Amino acid sequence: MKAAAFDYIKPKALSDALSLLEQGGDDAQLIAGGQTLLATLNMRLSEPSILIDITDIDELKGISVVGDKLRIGALVTHTEIEDSDLVAKHAPLLKAAAPHIAHRAIRNLGTWGGSLAYGDPAAEWPACSLTLQATMVIHGPKGERKIAAQEFFIDLYTTSLEPDEILVATEIPLASSDQVFYFHELARRHGDYAVAGLAAVAQKKGNVLSNCIFTFFSVSSTPVMAAATQGIVNGKALNEQLIAQAVCTVREEIDAIADITNSAEAKTHLIGVLLERGLKHLIA
Amino acid sequence: MSLKKKISMTVNGVHVNTEIEPRRHLVDFLREDLHLKGPHLGCEQGACGACTVKVDGQIIRGCLFLAVQANGCVVETIEGLTKSGALADLQESFMRHNAMQCGFCSSGMLLAAAELIEKQPKASREEVREWISGNYCRCTGYHSIVNAIVDVLEARAKGQKIKPIIAHA
Amino acid sequence: MELNGEQLIGAPIPEVWKGLNDIDVLAKSIPGCEEISRVSPEEIHAKVMFKIGPVRARFSGKLLLSDVVPDQSCSMAFEGSGGAAGFAKGKSRVELKQVDGGTLVAYTTEASIGGKLGQIGGRLISASAKKIADDFFQKFAKELGGEIVVLDSDPNVE
Repeated sequence: MKAAAFDYIKPKALSDALSLLEQGGDDAQLIAGGQTLLATLNMRLSEPSILIDITDIDELKGISVVGDKLRIGALVTHTEIEDSDLVAKHAPLLKAAAPHIAHRAIRNLGTWGGSLAYGDPAAEWPACSLTLQATMVIHGPKGERKIAAQEFFIDLYTTSLEPDEILVATEIPLASSDQVFYFHELARRHGDYAVAGLAAVAQKKGNVLSNCIFTFFSVSSTPVMAAATQGIVNGKALNEQLIAQAVCTVREEIDAIADITNSAEAKTHLIGVLLERGLKHLIA
Repeated sequence: MSLKKKISMTVNGVHVNTEIEPRRHLVDFLREDLHLKGPHLGCEQGACGACTVKVDGQIIRGCLFLAVQANGCVVETIEGLTKSGALADLQESFMRHNAMQCGFCSSGMLLAAAELIEKQPKASREEVREWISGNYCRCTGYHSIVNAIVDVLEARAKGQKIKPIIAHA
Repeated sequence: MELNGEQLIGAPIPEVWKGLNDIDVLAKSIPGCEEISRVSPEEIHAKVMFKIGPVRARFSGKLLLSDVVPDQSCSMAFEGSGGAAGFAKGKSRVELKQVDGGTLVAYTTEASIGGKLGQIGGRLISASAKKIADDFFQKFAKELGGEIVVLDSDPNVE
């Protein structure tokens, strides 16, 4: 069906966007790539009175290295991340994950910031931002604030973004030379929402992994880090026995929530499958 | 609430000015206002790919892009890309492989395939299948479409282009 | 979809029971509640703005209470229409028990969502229901001045 009528405005200044957002309250919605929002409006699952198009705002654009961090602007598209040399060098996990996002036409418009701001539990970027220990840079009426990805994703579609704030960029520590990563999504078809997914990084020395981060997505209300499992794997020689132990632990640690096609038990099983494949890949 | 906005864009090489309600998406504007019936509407949710058009050199879902967002952009549909010859070898290959039946998906398929050939000229058969999995076809069963695209990739890799066979009486 | 759970609220049963039947407390506890009125002792009408992710769907609904045993338990049937977005229907049973630390509210819910919201949102119905229940009890406990005590077991959702 067709979207209900709304007004449309495209401010050039971040401060203007913020005032418009504050004024609009519940009746205003931000549009960047629009790949989630416009589908929602086309179905009349929302009927805002005004859309605030933020794609002209310079502070939200670009990928750059600033000091020891990779800064990715909120407006960077999934395709731009997929094609970026800086990302390939400093956050290769993201380059590996990008092709899993929907399909090319959607990746050409959909944005890094949009995916993070919605915090869909099945989305790739929220999970990757946890794994890469990203810091979110947020602007609001009171100015700029930063918050760790670990504290950003609170509940289903609920981040720490206040209604009058805009996610501007993220900062990600540059990958170390001994960093290895693993990204995989189990889905019935390419481009489907994952049944279960894993975004993992670690530092590798021989067959010992340290500073492991294993983030599972599409298994709960938010992406979930397997902290206890990380603790078991860190600093120990990874053999068949340790892998089996880790798989056991991760299945106990994570409380999977069913969705319309897969039970909690199925997801729990697949969490273990993903971890096993991931660990074997990481030490290969 | 008739808050029409003035916008202008280039569509298939032609400069277009109009006043339009913000809620109207690009494909509705192209089809209803400009009578370009090439792009089709299937799901209006971004899943089926029938609405695929090209904006500023990249494929997008025309149903998930407002006409007002196309202000100042270069828009290309199957009509323009056919006229320019950009899709000639793909179109010939599609015909040879019977990769079109009802034709509803074809505009989107061709545009998606064209971007694949441009961005991944060495794509494997598996990569072709993955790439076009964002375009649904209800008629052909997909194999003929994949074959057609693979043929074009192979020909281009050899520096050739599949050309229509013209018979002279 | 089924949603079963328990919440421990740091307040005595009579207060919790009163709160659950108080329109003003419910108005402040139901996430997105815009209007609420008691039409009869057994029937409550409400308008709720369901906000989750990009979705903003206004639901008009009614709640019908039955099998009411004061300070103990009650059943309710609910149905709501979200206009173009879809509709929801279900029933719930709530039981109160006095335990150490306050009142244990045990609830079982069966619900179905139809229309667009069910189609598109079906993937996240269970997680959404859990979130709404969590949000409700957080606000409800705050209204009573008591606290939510985090239990070991998360609500069971199927």
